[in-house]
Parts: sequence; structure tokens; C-alpha cells
Amino acid sequence: MKLSIKSLSKTYPNGVKALQEISLEIGTGMFGLLGPNGAGKSSLMRTLATLQEADSGSVFLDDVNVLKDKEFVRRNLGYLPQDFGVYPKIKAEQMLDHIAQLKGISNAKERKETVNYLLEKVNLNSHKGKNLGTYSGGMKQRFGIAQALLGNPKLIIVDEPTAGLDPAERNRFYNLLSQIGENTIVILSTHIVEDVRTLCSDFAIICQGELMYKGNPEEAIELVEGKIYNKSINKAEVLLYKEKYNLISTQLKSGALNVRIVSDTNPGDGFINSPATLEDVYFYKISQKTDVVTL
Amino acid sequence: MFWQIFTFELKYRIKRPATYIYFFIFLLIAFLSAASGSTPATEKVFHNSPYVIAEGNVLFSMIMMLVCSAIMGVPLYRDIEHNTKNYYLTYPISKAGYFWGRYLGSFIFVALIGTSISIGLFLGAVIGPIFGWVPAERIGANYLINYVYPYFTLALPNLFLASSIFFGLVAFFKNVKVIYTGSILLFIAYLLSNFLTRDIDNKDLVKILDAFSVNTFNLETRFYTPTEKNTLLVPIKGLFLINKLLWSGLGLLILLITYFTFSFERFFSSNQSKKQAKETDNNSSYFGAKFPEINISFGSNYYGRIMLNLSKIEFLNIVRDNYFKAILLGAIIFLGVDFWIGITTYGVSALPLTVNLMQYKNFDYVLFIFIIIIFYTGEAIHREKASGFGLINDALPTPDWVLYGSKLLGLTGLALLLATFPMVMGVIIQIAKGYFDFNFPVYLKELYLISFPQYMQIVFLSFAVHIFVNNKFAGHAVGLLIWIVMFLLRSFGEMNYNLFFYSYYPTYQWSDMDGINSSVKGIFWFNLYWIMFGAFLMTLAALFFNRGVPSGSKERWKMAKQRFKGFVPYAMGLFLIGFIATGVYTYYNVSVLNNYLTADETRFRQAVYEKKLKKYENIAQPKISDIKVSIDVFPETRTTRTNAKLSLINKSDLPIKDLHLNGNSLDSFTIKYNGLEVKNISYPLVHKRGKFNFFKSKLDTTNYRIYHLSKPLMPKDSAVLEVYSVNTNKGFTNEQSGTDILLNGTFFKGGLPTFGYDSQFELESDEKRKKFDLPKKDDDLPSYNDKKGLSDLLFNKDADLVAMDITVSTIKGQTAIAPGKMVKTWEDNGRVYSQFIQNAPKVDLFFDVVSAKYEELKGNQKLPNGQNVALELYYQNGHDKNLNRFMAAYKDGLDYYSKSYGNYQFSQLRLLEFPKYRTFAQSFPNTVSYSEAFGYTADFKPADFDYVYFVTAHELAHQWWGHQVVPSRTKGANLISEALAEYTALILCEKKYGRDNMKRFLKQELDGYLSGRANEAKKENLFIDCNRPYQWYQKGALILYGLRDLIGEQELNTALKEFNQQWAYKENPPFASSHDLYSAIDKHVPDSLKYYMVDTWKKLTLYENRVLDVKVEPTKTKGFNKITLKVFTRKMYADSKGNEKPASIMNDYIDIGVFAADTKDKEGRNITKPLYLKKHKLKAGEHTITLTVKGDVDKVGIDPYVKLIDRIPDDNIKTI
Repeated sequence: MKLSIKSLSKTYPNGVKALQEISLEIGTGMFGLLGPNGAGKSSLMRTLATLQEADSGSVFLDDVNVLKDKEFVRRNLGYLPQDFGVYPKIKAEQMLDHIAQLKGISNAKERKETVNYLLEKVNLNSHKGKNLGTYSGGMKQRFGIAQALLGNPKLIIVDEPTAGLDPAERNRFYNLLSQIGENTIVILSTHIVEDVRTLCSDFAIICQGELMYKGNPEEAIELVEGKIYNKSINKAEVLLYKEKYNLISTQLKSGALNVRIVSDTNPGDGFINSPATLEDVYFYKISQKTDVVTL
Repeated sequence: MFWQIFTFELKYRIKRPATYIYFFIFLLIAFLSAASGSTPATEKVFHNSPYVIAEGNVLFSMIMMLVCSAIMGVPLYRDIEHNTKNYYLTYPISKAGYFWGRYLGSFIFVALIGTSISIGLFLGAVIGPIFGWVPAERIGANYLINYVYPYFTLALPNLFLASSIFFGLVAFFKNVKVIYTGSILLFIAYLLSNFLTRDIDNKDLVKILDAFSVNTFNLETRFYTPTEKNTLLVPIKGLFLINKLLWSGLGLLILLITYFTFSFERFFSSNQSKKQAKETDNNSSYFGAKFPEINISFGSNYYGRIMLNLSKIEFLNIVRDNYFKAILLGAIIFLGVDFWIGITTYGVSALPLTVNLMQYKNFDYVLFIFIIIIFYTGEAIHREKASGFGLINDALPTPDWVLYGSKLLGLTGLALLLATFPMVMGVIIQIAKGYFDFNFPVYLKELYLISFPQYMQIVFLSFAVHIFVNNKFAGHAVGLLIWIVMFLLRSFGEMNYNLFFYSYYPTYQWSDMDGINSSVKGIFWFNLYWIMFGAFLMTLAALFFNRGVPSGSKERWKMAKQRFKGFVPYAMGLFLIGFIATGVYTYYNVSVLNNYLTADETRFRQAVYEKKLKKYENIAQPKISDIKVSIDVFPETRTTRTNAKLSLINKSDLPIKDLHLNGNSLDSFTIKYNGLEVKNISYPLVHKRGKFNFFKSKLDTTNYRIYHLSKPLMPKDSAVLEVYSVNTNKGFTNEQSGTDILLNGTFFKGGLPTFGYDSQFELESDEKRKKFDLPKKDDDLPSYNDKKGLSDLLFNKDADLVAMDITVSTIKGQTAIAPGKMVKTWEDNGRVYSQFIQNAPKVDLFFDVVSAKYEELKGNQKLPNGQNVALELYYQNGHDKNLNRFMAAYKDGLDYYSKSYGNYQFSQLRLLEFPKYRTFAQSFPNTVSYSEAFGYTADFKPADFDYVYFVTAHELAHQWWGHQVVPSRTKGANLISEALAEYTALILCEKKYGRDNMKRFLKQELDGYLSGRANEAKKENLFIDCNRPYQWYQKGALILYGLRDLIGEQELNTALKEFNQQWAYKENPPFASSHDLYSAIDKHVPDSLKYYMVDTWKKLTLYENRVLDVKVEPTKTKGFNKITLKVFTRKMYADSKGNEKPASIMNDYIDIGVFAADTKDKEGRNITKPLYLKKHKLKAGEHTITLTVKGDVDKVGIDPYVKLIDRIPDDNIKTI
């Protein structure tokens, strides 16, 4: 199964170019989407989730036109939006049962089983009889995950699913996703670059609506392996360095500023070669579009 | 601290566009009403009079409750809504600073917005006349105080009350939705006081209870004459002051309680924290377990089931909402109260007939329904989005049509539920009242075939608006605005072409006699037309149904285009075609088959009528001396055919060359003159066709025709005129019409054209007349000594007394009746014929024909002179509860009137019921027609005023006053007919039920007279020149009743008998005028009382009587009390505009009374126990009167029975 996105573009009425000629091929397994706030990740995911129209371009799930045959997509979709609400006066169990029904699980017994299974999986089993209004932020998020996984979706789109989860819950969730991801397309957006490295077989970096990079994490790191140098400098000099080098990140630590640059050759000047991380790739790619000096 | 928060609040408000929008909306409304002359001022009252400005302030400040809720709900809630509460508390702020800063910072804007009313009215009064939008003479001088005073005394207290309540509610409930409930509750309080004002005895209570003092204001000012309205600042004193103090005090109290109970901790504490679920660890027993097997299928009717399921959820979501329950409870309470009391006549409710209840439900309930539907349609549409669940929901596989359809179905369920309550409540009330004749067909037809579609139309429009607007609050605003604009266009714009007003159709009433037969076609087709339009809107809206997060109109268009496939275009086309087709058919009925005219066109036609034809007003025309007519009623086709042979005679001194026939009220007519057709006809009155009637011929020839006779009719010569006319009701009309010819209950006035010009059809309003360049018009009729006037009869100038021979026919199963003695009845060709003859004595030419399926009750009365009168009551099956009251009035009246005023002239007397579409009773010679809604189904309790008896006695009295003595067509002459009938009926009623039972009636008569003159649009005539119902009925009854009290019943009856003998059955002019009656009575009034006759008949006299102080001391003799009474009296003379001046001399007889406590008789009627009641001759000013009476004193009063006309009768009595 394959999701093919071709030249997808979207401009909002206020002129913001959310997507510009995005083309991607996404196969089964976990696919990570990285990008700064406002890069277009959510726009892309909402478009794939049939919630929004694109201006141009096409999206195919195998040979099904995603932009046209919305109902087909929805029947095979699990979607967790970045931000969502719940009906406060309904129990989690009831609500999931209701959603399962809408997802076409017509057999009540099966619904009950699958709902219980998922509640167990997201660690809400002991709260399933409580009204959703009483849930904390993390619990609500887990409820959201559960509903997205209902009904054996072939395409799972989760927008920052781990926001608000503690590390243990995050791990639990990732394990769950990986288990499902073996024969499903899972698209996941996140701000935690390291998660992509550990989880995703493929990923893409988007910035200001443009696709900056796509590939797998290992290859991506190889791209800059051996080219990353760092140095502690005086805060006041940062602009100088920015002009002179391909500066990709800055970090203030005990009064000194630690800068990282990308360079094909050893720049000398006190720079020390340092092992590359996926984060370096991320900053390297988006530094072409935005200012990464965060002072 | 206060200052910072206060100024922060000011800055916040001042930046909000809403602040300005509110201000300008009210400014605009006030401006327009003054500038365009649309204030409720009558024609002699200025649009900027103190009264009108005050009324505007009190009314609009109540409506500004909505503004108060919008502004005062936010200042506290803002911190909760935006979660600023999380850090606001950490700032060093004081409770007082926070609370008062927020309150005053917002209230100041409410107060400023409140000034828009006065400012708008002022601007309107200044600018309106400059542009000629309002006649300059309708604008008085502008004084600042007139604008400022009502703002501070009326508007500001109202705004303060509402603001405090809303502010307090939010502080307490930490929720803004509570404001809706608060508004509804205040609204209910207002409705309640409206409701209480229906009863005349509750007025003092209402004056205090009306929180916004709208009714208080109306009650306090209702007797203001035009002059007073133009000059007086409405004083806030007495009960009005108590009301203002009470409610403003309550506002302050609420505010203070809110302040003292307000605490940051409570207000800012999270509602949820207490019951939040605790995280618990779990054991991951399922770790690694496989997903359970599931089958996913969307089988053939799977979505059908899902839709039902979803719609059930939608429905439950609405009905489980606590606010819904609160509003519904209000609605049901009102429904119950309205059903219980309904429309009262003289304080008497009707039986809870199903046909009545179906009318009462539209009093208040329908308003609640409207609010509920509008509000909850928005809630349903925005539910997912508002809860944030929308994104998940919209990505689920459920197809659009299922989501859309389920919401619509859920709301349909709501509409059905709301349509069902009136039946449930109706049956409960009927059972509670012991009335078991449930008319379920009427319930079902009304609620499910008329109301339910109408509720659905409200749903459709709201639904579509919310989808197009795609914002909950803007959606509510736009939705409401559409209805408000329609309402304003209809009420102020005088537009009523129902094809252009969504969800409107002809008004109708359910009648037991006729069902809704007269209106059913119009209701059905208009309803279908709007349902089609609504359904079309629904399909259109479906294309734009919001799913996901479309980013703008472009994207919504794109989605709409995608959705325009499958059955959608067909459904849309079908509904559109249905809408157009029903529209075409409706148009065909309203504007092609019938002649629709706008209000303005009607007035224009009246003006043209007067301009073109007034010159014919006094031309000589023949009089009818004898009539032989046959009238055939065809109930199924609602048609009548009239075939008349009239004998004419020229009673004038001039030859008559032309015959002027006005057949304005007839569909078509033809004539023969002396057996020949008259070929030479001219049509002096031709109108342009109505604006909306494109397919009618361009010119509309009216039925005013001048027949040029080949040979003039010479003085004293006679001729024969044959008239053949047809009246029918084709299709249906824009409004209810043709209620005189019905399937069951035809009550038809004969179908004859009238002779010549009739000033009754002229425009009345001087302001409107001016627009058409017509001169002012003061009176319809000529003066009492006008020769022409004295030579015509009041009710029909085309004939003096005539002999009548009327043959009527109708279908089998119905009875057709006309005045006269029935001489023959026969059947022919499946129709029933009856012939009625009245030739001795001759009667005035005033007859009607009724035809209905009747039950009959017959009786006989032997009069004191030995004459036998056959009594016949014809009534609708089931309407038999009060027949004995009709019968008793007939029997008692025939006895008393024939003994007192002269013999009864006929050998029979009938009473005929006709459907409630018209509410009156009318007396024809020996026949009285009496409306279904007026007494037949009244639910009399023993102590109630028996208005059935009274009105029947009144109509019977017309056989003497009206038919024996027929008034001339002169100014004031109608009092011979109406004032005497009212007075004689009053006496008869008093004889039967006792003086105490008349008190409420007399109070109502006084009320009627005083409000009649207060709303007089032109000038108040002297009684002797009376020209208005409030004069000849209400004033007439009061002053004649007072006169009887002075000269005695016997003396007055003698005078009336002499008058009767002098004028009864007079076949030739001159006929009786009001002055003739005056002199007949005056002869019997002793000199010492002549002042009363002059005061009441020839002057406008008002008394100001009141008790100032009473002291009661026991005397030495046991059981006797000494009373020292201080009273004030004054007599005022008013001019025709209402300017009053004290009478220069006064020495009048006024009752002084001392009473023991009231007792009740065994039927529950009040009995007053006078210990002392004597007339004292009093001069103007204060008097101290000392009396000794036997017994315990309860009440003391001056003119305690209010026999004199007194504007404030309540202060005439003081209770010890």
C-alpha cells in the first residue's frame, strides 16, 4: 500500500502558502513529519484526512483518489487532530462505542471487544466509565489515540500525538503504533526530532509549506556526518559567525554561546568536529528558510 | 486599584465594535420612529411629546435587556473564558476594586447606550420635518427636560435592574449561558404582568409587579388626553414610585448580595478540579496482545440506522439540556395559564373548547417555541465545532447526508415535540375544568398539519442561515434579523403580501361552526409554498454543509460543486419547481382570481373615490318603499345569488335623471329599470390595477355606476328596480376574507347595491387625507338640524320604512333565515326554501340572511298586554350551555320594555348564531344575529357579570331603540339607538342581578370611555353630537344611569315612553335626532338638576372626587359611630382636545356613603352593605362632613359607586 502525493499546493485566503508543490511517496510503516510551527504539517495532514481541500495537486492511496473519493478514505482512516475536544458528559466507553459504530463495526460484541482492547492499550481501562469531562489533558490525549486506532484503519494520521504525554505514556504509545505500523501507513508529526529517528523508517522536513527533505533518518544523518563543527563563542560575536559560517543552531550555556555549523571542510578557528545528529539535519534544512539563531 | 480596573474596562469596551453597533441600532430605531412619524402617537399627539419620549424610553430600555446581557455578562466571565483566571489571581488586586471596577466600567456603557433612545428621538424630531418625512404639525416644541427626565426616571432604572441581575447571575453561576435563562425569566415576568392587565381588577397589582414598568406606565397614562400627552411629564408618584423604588432597590440588593458573597477563590476555582479523574497505574496485561478480530461493513441500510441513531442523539442532546428544560418549563407554564384563562369578556373566560385552545396557544407559547427553535438549531449545527470534537467527527466515514440528515431529523423531532405539548396540556386543562368534549380532529389538524410545518419552516431558515453564516452568534443574529426585518416591514412598512414573507400565511380562527373552512385553502397552499422554499433552502445549504476546516468561501464553493451530484440536483430541482409551481398557483388565487391591494392602494382608492364622487353626495335619489327579494345560498361553493324587486319612489322635489348605484361590496350585479335594461351607463370611478396584479386588466372599473334613465323619475313618481347580483369567494386570498358566505354559518347582508355616494367610505385620518390633498374631516354626518340628514334614516339612507318580502333558499340540512314572519317553507330540486314577510308594521330596510346547520330551542312569552311572542333560538350543536341566559333576557326584556316604552311590534323574536370570524351581535327587525365567540360558550361562575344576558337585552332593546324609533342620519342621532339600548339593558340587568353585580360593569364602562377619549385621534364631541362608540356606548350608559339616579327610573322611563310614542314607526321625514331625545328627557328633569343634563350632554365634564381623611369614633350610644370625613371635589370642563378648566360654579349632588364590610351571598356574589348613602350638595373644594351611623364601619367614600365621570375612581373610597 502506498500513498502518493503529487505537487500538492494550498494557499489560504489570507495569502499564507501552507503547501507548495509538495510531492511525497509514503509506504507502510511509520512516516515522520518534521517542521517548525506553522510549516504546513497540520495543513498537509488535514488535507490527507479529507478535512480540507487542496488548490492543486493530487493524492492517491494506491489507485484511489484521496481528494475525490473522500468516503473511501474516511472508511480507512484513523485521525487524531492536534487539538480536539470531547463531549464532557459522555463516558469514554460509550463514546468509543459510538465512534466504532460510525466506523462500520456493526456487531455490538466486536465493538465491545475492540473498545476494551484499545482502552487497555492506552491505559484508560480503569477510567472507561468516567465522563470525558473529568479527564486530564494526558488522558484526553490517550482517548484521542484510542479513537484514531478504532476500526483497523489502513491510513493513520496523528498530529503531534505525544503532546502532553509523560515519557512512559509516550513509550507506550510508540510501541502501540509500531505494532500497528507493520502493515499500515502511519503519518505522524512531531517536534521531537529524536522520536523520528527511533521510530520512523521514513520522514520529511517541511518548512514554510515547502518540502525541504525526504528520506530515511540514517541516510539523512550521513548527509552531514563529519561536517558538523561546534564552538563556544562570546554572545556578542554571534552575528559575525552567522555571516561567516553556515550556522545551524545556537545554544546558550553558562554565559557562553555554543554554536554549531555545517562545513564541508574543517573551518579551524577553534571549531571542533562533532558527531552528527538528526537534529543537525533538521536545523540544517530549515536554516535555508528561516533564521535559526534563537537569541 | 479600582481606578486601574475601571479604566481597563473602559478601554476594553471602547474598542469593541459591538458597543457602537448597539448604540446606533437603538439610535436609528428611535430616530426613524420620530423622523418618519411611526411612533404610536395618535393624530393629535406630537411624535416628540413628553408622553411619546417617555414611552420610547420605557419600552426600548426593556428591549435593551438584550444589550445588558451582552455587556454585563462579559466583564467577569472574560477571565474564566480566556483562562486569565490562572494568573489573574496572582496579581495584588482587591475584591472591591475588581468587582466595582468591572461593574461600573461596563455599566457606564449600558447607561450611555441607554441615551440613544432620547437622542434618536430628538434627532428624528429635528430632522424629520426638515425633509418632510413627518408633517411639521406633528412635531411639538423640543424641551431638553422632556428627553432627560424619562431617561433618568424610566430608562436608567430599567437598565440598572437588568444589568445588576445579569452581572450577579454570572458572578454566581460562573457561566454565560445562565444569561439566556435570565433573559427568558425577565421576559416571562414581563409577559406575566401583560397577562395580568387583561383583568381590570388587577391593575394596582400590575402597577407594582411589572419589573420594567411598561404596564405601569401604560396604566398610569392611559387616560391622558392628547393635550396632556403633549404637555405632561409623567409624574413618578404613588404606585409608580413604589414600583420604581421596589425594583431599583431589588437591583441594588442583588448587586450588594453579589458583592458580599463574591470571593475570588470560589469564582476562579476550576469547576472540574474537584471531580477530576485520578491517574492510576495499570498492569499492561494486553501488552503484545493482538487486535481483536472485527468485521467492518457498511451494508445497504447501515447508514439509515446510523442516521436514526445520530438523530436520536441530536434530539436527546437538546432535550436533556438544562437550559432547554428551563425555557420549555416557562413555555408550558404560560401555555397552561393561557389555556386556563384564555380570552375573557367582562372578566369571564370561555369554556376550554378545543377550537379556543388552539387560538390561545399563539398568545405566548408560540414565542417560546420560536426562541427555542432558533436557539437550538444553532446549537445542533455548531455542536461538534463548539465542543472541539468536530475534526475527529468530520474525518469519520459517516457520509455528509447522514450527518446533515441526522441533525435535521433531530430538529424535526424537536418540532414535533413542541407541536405536541399544546395537545397534552389542552387535554389536561380540559379535564381539570371538567370539560370532556375533546375535539381531537381539531387538535391533530392544527398541531400537525399547520403548526408543525410552520415550526419546520423556522427550523429550515435557521438551519440554512447557520450553515451559510458558519458562526454561531452571527448566525443567531442574522437569523433573528430576518424575522425582525419581516416583522418591521409588515407592521411599519404596511407590507403584507404573504408570497414575499417567509412562513407567513393568512390568519385564521377555528370555529365550531365552520372549522377553518373559510381559510383552509389559503393556509394549505401558502404553507406548502413555504415548505417547498424551506426544503429548497435545505438542499442548497446541504451543499455548503461545513465538514472539516474549509479555509474560505472559495473552498466552500469547491466543496459545494463536488457535492452537487447524485440525487442532490434532482431534489433541488424538484423543490425549486415545487416552490415555483405552488407560488404560481398561490399568485393566481391571490392576484388573478382575487384583487389584492396594498394598504396604500386602498387609501389611494378611498381618496380617489372622495375626489371623484363627493359631488354626488347630496344629489336626489329615489327611496325604496317596498322590497321583494329572493336570496339563494350555495354553501359548498360559498356563493349567494340575489334576485330583488324594489319599488322606488322619488320623495324629493327634483326629477331624478340618473340612478347612482354603488355595488362596491358585490362581485357582480345587473339591473332592470321598470322592466327594461338601461343601456346608457357611465362609470365615473376607474382605478389603476393593483401593483401586484399584473395579469388583471390595466384599469379596474369599480362597481359605482350611473344609469342614465331614458325618462326622469318625477317627484312623487314611482318605479320598479330589479337587481340581480352574485357574490362568491373564488379560490383564496392573501388574508382571511369572505367570512360572510361560508360552508356552515353564512351571515350575509343581502347583496343589494346602495344608492349614491356614502361618506362612510372616505379616508378618516386627517394626516392621511392631507397626503392626498383632501381637506380635514371632522364628522361623517351633518348637524342635527340638517334637512337632508333629517330626511334619511341612519342605518340605510336608501329607504324609509318598507315592507319586506324575503325568500331564502339553501341546501338540505341547513336552515336559512331572514327577518320577518315565516309564511311558507317548501322544498324544490333538493333545496329548502322559506319565505319571510314583514309588512305590518313596516320596518327600516336592514336585513340579513343566515344559513347554517342549526339546533333549535323554541319558547313563547305572553307579554303584560296579552300579546304572544314566539321565541326561537338557533344555535350550533353543543353550544347549549347558556341558552337559558339568552332566553331569560328575551323574556324579561320583552316584559319590561313593552311595559315601559311601548308594545313590541312583532309576533316573533329570533336569535341566530354565526361563526366567530366576526365578534359582535347585531339586531335586525325581530331577529338578532349573535357571534359564536360572544357568550355561547362562556363559562359563567355564579358571581360573574352575565354579559350574555346584558348583550341580549341590549340587542332586544334595539327593537324599540333603532327599529321602532329609527334615528335620522344626523350627528349624534346614533345615541337614540345605542345609548338607549345600553342604558335599558343595564337597567334590566340590574333588576335581575342586583346593583352590586353592576359595579364591575360600570367600572369597565368608565374605563372604556376614559381610554376612548384618551386615544381620540381628532376631537372629542359633546355627547349630544356623539360620533364614536366610546361616546354612545360607554358614556351613554354612564350618564343615563347617573340621570336615573337623580330623577328616578319611573320619571326617566316616562320620558322615554313619550319619546317613543312621538317618533316610533314614523314613515316620513323628519326623523329623530339627538336633540329630540334631549328635549324629551329634559322635560322631565327638575330645574335643580338641569345642570346635570347640560354637563353630561352639552359639555365635557369630569369630576375629581377623593377622600382626604376619615375618622371613626364610637359614640356614647352603643353600636353607633361618629364619622368625620374630609373630602375634596372639583368639577372640570374639558374642550374637545382635552384641555381642562375648573368649572366656575359648582354646587352638585354627590353621593356620600358609609359602608359596613362586604358580605357574600350564597352564590359568591359580593354584597355591599351601605350604612349611609345620601346625596350631598357640594361646592368645589374641601369639605368636612360629620355623620353618625349605626354599625361597624368598613369603608367611607365620596361618589363611592362612581356615578360621575371621574378619572381616578380608586381614591373615592377609603377603607378603614
